[in-house]
Amino acid sequence: MRSRMAGITEAPGETHQISETTHKAEEPESDFDPKTMRNSKPGIKRLILTLSVLFSFLLGFPFLWKSVEIYRAPLPFREIDMLSARIESNPLLFPCHFQAIFVGFDSKPSMTPDALGSSILSQMTKLTSKPPQCGTCSTNFSIAVTVDSSSGCIQTRNLEYTSSWRCGLMGTIDFSDDEGVDKALADSLGGKVYSVVVVNGDREEVRAVVGKYRHAWVVGRVSEAEAVARAAEIFVKVFMNGGKEEGLIHGEFMPVGADGKIVLSFNLLNSDPQDWVYDWDFQSIDETLLAPVIEALESVANISVESQVLYHTPKSSFSHWDDEQESYIFSAKDLPFFVNSNEWHLDTSIAAGGRSKILQFVVYIPSARECPLLLQLPNGEISKTNGFISPMWGGVLVWNPKDCLKDSESQHPLWRTISQQDLQEVFEVVMGQFRQLFGLKSNHVYVGASGTSSLLASERGFTEWELDVLSRQHTCFNLHSCATTLGSLSRLVQSLPRMIIMDEIGKQVMYSLEAANLARSNASLGLYDASAVSSRQARSLAEDAFFHPSIMSVSYYSFEHCFAVYSPFFLPVSMHVLLAALREWRRYKQENKKYLAWKTKVKKDS
Amino acid sequence: MRFKMYGSFRCRMVLLLVFLLLDCNFSNCLADTSSEATMHTNNWAVLVCTSRFWFNYRHMANTLSLYRTVKRLGIPDERIILMLADDMACNARNKYPAQVFNNENHKLNLYGDNVEVDYRGYEVTVENFLRVLTGRHENAVPRSKRLLSDEGSHILLYMTGHGGDEFLKFQDSEELQSHDLADAVKQMKEKRRFKELLIMVDTCQAATLFSQLQSPGVLAIGSSMKGENSYSHHLDSDVGVSVVDRFTFYTLGFFERLNMYNNDSLMSLFSSYNPSMLMSTAYYRTDLYQRHLEEVPVTNFFGSVMEMIHTDSAYSLLSRKESFRVEIKMPADKSVPDKKRLMDKPSHLDQIRELNIEDQHGALKRTWSTIQKEMEKVEDVDAFVSYGLVLIVPLLTVSMWLKW
Repeated sequence: MRSRMAGITEAPGETHQISETTHKAEEPESDFDPKTMRNSKPGIKRLILTLSVLFSFLLGFPFLWKSVEIYRAPLPFREIDMLSARIESNPLLFPCHFQAIFVGFDSKPSMTPDALGSSILSQMTKLTSKPPQCGTCSTNFSIAVTVDSSSGCIQTRNLEYTSSWRCGLMGTIDFSDDEGVDKALADSLGGKVYSVVVVNGDREEVRAVVGKYRHAWVVGRVSEAEAVARAAEIFVKVFMNGGKEEGLIHGEFMPVGADGKIVLSFNLLNSDPQDWVYDWDFQSIDETLLAPVIEALESVANISVESQVLYHTPKSSFSHWDDEQESYIFSAKDLPFFVNSNEWHLDTSIAAGGRSKILQFVVYIPSARECPLLLQLPNGEISKTNGFISPMWGGVLVWNPKDCLKDSESQHPLWRTISQQDLQEVFEVVMGQFRQLFGLKSNHVYVGASGTSSLLASERGFTEWELDVLSRQHTCFNLHSCATTLGSLSRLVQSLPRMIIMDEIGKQVMYSLEAANLARSNASLGLYDASAVSSRQARSLAEDAFFHPSIMSVSYYSFEHCFAVYSPFFLPVSMHVLLAALREWRRYKQENKKYLAWKTKVKKDS
Repeated sequence: MRFKMYGSFRCRMVLLLVFLLLDCNFSNCLADTSSEATMHTNNWAVLVCTSRFWFNYRHMANTLSLYRTVKRLGIPDERIILMLADDMACNARNKYPAQVFNNENHKLNLYGDNVEVDYRGYEVTVENFLRVLTGRHENAVPRSKRLLSDEGSHILLYMTGHGGDEFLKFQDSEELQSHDLADAVKQMKEKRRFKELLIMVDTCQAATLFSQLQSPGVLAIGSSMKGENSYSHHLDSDVGVSVVDRFTFYTLGFFERLNMYNNDSLMSLFSSYNPSMLMSTAYYRTDLYQRHLEEVPVTNFFGSVMEMIHTDSAYSLLSRKESFRVEIKMPADKSVPDKKRLMDKPSHLDQIRELNIEDQHGALKRTWSTIQKEMEKVEDVDAFVSYGLVLIVPLLTVSMWLKW
């Protein structure tokens, strides 16, 4: 009690000391200097008080930090970088299996399956580009050869694939009917492996046909070398590369939207309804002709169809009368100005989402003043189809009414429907344009180094091997696009450390990476369609994550801003608290030093 | 604990930096080669007027004049994004209601017909502008308000208003900084939203606005340099305000004698600006642009070029020349081989779909979500709240009783 009192008020202690010295005069005159000594332990109540205030201040700091923390969903940066690196370093290659069957080479006993196999392999490796392009077959493809002669079939000893070829089949087939041959081969070969059947026959003229499924045949008098060359060329140029020189489809021939959807918008344009007004039975076309095509392309894109009929839609370029053709001619240099975007309100789709791709197919019916309207090509010929496309936009076809007959007596415009025959012809041209938009050719011929092959047309618009090529190329493109998008996203997110990243973005990135890995594993297994589907999903999820509307760099404040907001609240107060604590601590130390000095002095004295 | 996590994050960042550096090299290489390989397939125009109020009539007239020019040369409305405050034509101070002129001879009414404004009034904000450029819109934004360009697009970006050193003023309330614009362009380039971009700025100290750009394939021209002002051309004493700016006036003069078939080069446009007539120096930067300006026709940016390819032949879907009515009866047996293609698909798709639906919920989260679901089921919210309030009273009494 006494020491405490001494700690609080020094004056009574002092007087006590003085009274002590006055009363006990015989005590040695201790040079007690109140400035350097004190005889009571200094109290710590004040120190405890200020330190507790400081401590509670410090205790609140983590809570403050947590409350201004920016929520960032953790993004798997490492996996994104690994995916990008993998896709850059190993271009996506698919395993392909080939099969060659030689029939009727009885007189050449040197043609053993193994020898033929190795010569085909060497030819094919000569034809493939090195390094292999993304989306084509990998370099270690397997070739199985069967030689069917009168003495029986000999096959290569290929353990992984046993040919289902029926010996002696070729004798029963009539080669004049392509469709029949195709069907027969499909039944016997199965259709999973790319096959070429070379039949050495009597006919002088060699004919090569590529069927609707995954096989082709060559008929005629062929030597062994020519047969091998033809087979190798069909394998590489047609089945692997899809009939194109480089085997790679450029980005402008991949009209699939970022969300994996395409909207086909069919427009019938009546340029001048005063002359005639045409209508079409689109429903029947949609059900019979378009439905199989859409189903065939299901793995590549999710397609929906819309149609409309427009009136008063003149074109914006000019045409001139040509006496020789007895029609109005517009030439190839007018094509860029044909589409009159002021009057043609084509983009009225409500169903198409923001990231879908819309392809416009326009059937243009000219007015009586310009009928018939024909397209003249740069080489002077008149176009057979009267149509043209613009990549990533769509196609235009000019359809002239029959004989340009105009009923001049009646005042009212003529209301007519396009006949089924004409509509079918129109849609065949549209199909050709649709194939062109995907990078494939609309004609039925492949011209190669060793000869011309004719390509059979499929009712679904695309043959099986063409769909394989599209699946492979689109898988490659989608995975590449997915990797670059995720890479851009991760760079962007890391460059803005104070931006909120919502959970949804994290989830989308995760699913996108999983889909991309699934696509790669499907590709390595050789499942073209499944890999196309999962790569499409990967790309659309990556695009959703990147284009998430919450990622806006202008909306988030910098660290300086945060500091400027909170410092007027805490800085002055914290300064005072800190100073007070320091002051109390210093005072306590001083007092303690004084007390210790007195104690040593007392000890010395006693 | 928090700081320790931050530390490990830093270590990971360093590792990733090495990865990223390697990646950057790859992607830069790719970007350079791919931009030359892609075809120019379409043209877009983004025209922005960043001022409002009557005394800024000339900025709106600038933008509308350029809109008219670009449409005349062939870019359709669906590929033009027009952002205007649009408060001139029907302004109470406009002596000629519903008409906007850019010359005192009043020969041309810019607001005549077919003007489609995509962002008007208070929708012209920095945020919307950057959203248009980067493409990050809400799901509900219609297609006409989006910049749907792709890697083959040439984009013309024209901005006019009041600006200054490294900024552009938007609607008198906010600013667009030059680094924000550079960042948006960088993101556009990364996402391959354009092949080439031409930026035209008609403000005071315009050249500073694109000083921070780094992305390749960008060409920029401004009406004045740092420290210079851009001036209006003339005052229309009838309307009462200046009706056009000098830079835009001379630009329009250049384009009036062109039609869509011309191929004057960009160099002729850029060299037609006379500093003494403009009373400022029109500065352009070409360091990010690979092609020579003499070879680039102005219609590459101001007009619309669509690459056209002729269709050689029709693709006959039906092999036999019969009417397709007969075919309708046949699809039954045709459909069987077709379905085989999709056989391998379903299981893998389902795997991903399942992952989408069920997340890895912890037990706590699950109970919380069930609580939330129960809360959502409560329909009469007011009754629920009043029950809660009434419940407070017995709770209080219980606690008071416990205290004593």
